[in-house]
Amino acid sequence: MTALEVKLRKVFSSKPGRFALEAEFTAPAGVSVIFGPSGAGKTTILECIAGLTVPDSGRIALGSGPDTSAAGGVTEAGSETLFDSDHKIDLTPQRRRVGYVFQHLALFPHMTAGENIAFGIAGNGTRRETLVRDVLERFRVTHAAGRRPGEISGGERQRVALARALVTRPRILLLDEPFSALDDALKLEIVADLKQWLSRFPVPVLFVTHDRSEAAALGERMLLMNEGKIVGQEMIQPLAIGN
Amino acid sequence: MNWQAFALTARLATLTSLILLLLGVPIALWVVFSRRRWKFLLEAVVSMPLVLPPTVLGFYLLVAFGSGTVLGRWYQRVAGSTLAFTFRGLVLASVLYSLPFAVQPMAAAFRGVDQRLIDAARTLGVSQATIYRRIVVPLAWPGLITGMVLSFAHTVGEFGVVLMVGGNIPGATRTLSIDIYDQVQALNYASANQTALALLVFSYLLLCLLYGLNRRTLLWGSR
Repeated sequence: MTALEVKLRKVFSSKPGRFALEAEFTAPAGVSVIFGPSGAGKTTILECIAGLTVPDSGRIALGSGPDTSAAGGVTEAGSETLFDSDHKIDLTPQRRRVGYVFQHLALFPHMTAGENIAFGIAGNGTRRETLVRDVLERFRVTHAAGRRPGEISGGERQRVALARALVTRPRILLLDEPFSALDDALKLEIVADLKQWLSRFPVPVLFVTHDRSEAAALGERMLLMNEGKIVGQEMIQPLAIGN
Repeated sequence: MNWQAFALTARLATLTSLILLLLGVPIALWVVFSRRRWKFLLEAVVSMPLVLPPTVLGFYLLVAFGSGTVLGRWYQRVAGSTLAFTFRGLVLASVLYSLPFAVQPMAAAFRGVDQRLIDAARTLGVSQATIYRRIVVPLAWPGLITGMVLSFAHTVGEFGVVLMVGGNIPGATRTLSIDIYDQVQALNYASANQTALALLVFSYLLLCLLYGLNRRTLLWGSR
């Protein structure tokens, strides 16, 4: 099982009152919720992991994580560094293979749902078509494949955004409050589909939210954040939903 | 109306705007997305024709086209003639003179593309060139049309650079604006008025088309 190891520091001197983000945690395969109030620095952590923001210092690596099924332990074998300020390593977002579902989804408005999903798949032809068809079915949006984001519902857009991020088989999945605009019933439906996918392809997932019910529905462990710092960690009692 | 000058002007403006579409897109992309600290130097060069008297640009182009420069000698060796006082020379001069009219609206349109879409594309693993080709340029198409229309209209109306570089050779370098000047010199005001009025109406209609298109795009985008 792989785990995401994060240790970073980023100071924003332009923000009012100077804001310092300092975070250190390990996220094993499964869903880790980053929970905290607005402005705590949750999104910035995700951006640093995706390579969209460069930390001032620290290290972000994907490596062998603690084996939760047995005694296990962390090894360095097979680990890959995405960012390391000491060794001047900073992979581009393209090379990190990180799936990112943005808060505002960021679907390409001029492409259909199918084209959005196919966008990140390398190569052409039948493999691409098969992957797109499969993920459309799994997220129950086959009917929306030929329509543009402006022509489908909020829930369908959410599913398309998830499908687009997952179809490339990312090694890490980052979810930045992607369900905040949905009603509870729809939210739980999508969460159930996502959990099913993650049971097939387990990767470390960082799920940013400030909604405790969302955290309980999807998360396994919670990182509590406040004013740029991780102030606590706790395990989440699972809720029986969907599957 | 001097139809020969009309056809020549239409050919010159069409060629110029097409070349500027090919040239303007990569320049505008570089201006917007490059992180080079010295890029303002190139931005200033591209925008020079906006503030430079046309005769200054025309004079230096005339000198550059002559046999006293490397460019002039090279062209003479390749083509067997000089660039000055030819239609090709006129096209080159028009491209340089109208460059900011193409690049600036294109750059503004590229800047307007939502950064979150570009970030999303980057996390999906595609190359920067693919992001430009499939996200940035298609979403900025109204800016590309604006750049082409403005450079077309600007080329139709240019006078100083054309006169300096091309002179006044019927069928080769005599454009509509030079023709108007000729008619006025010959005190043929009725003919000059006919051509001037045609250019006035053409310019007005072109700008109406441009603003109408922008309005439609805005309405389409807000849906």
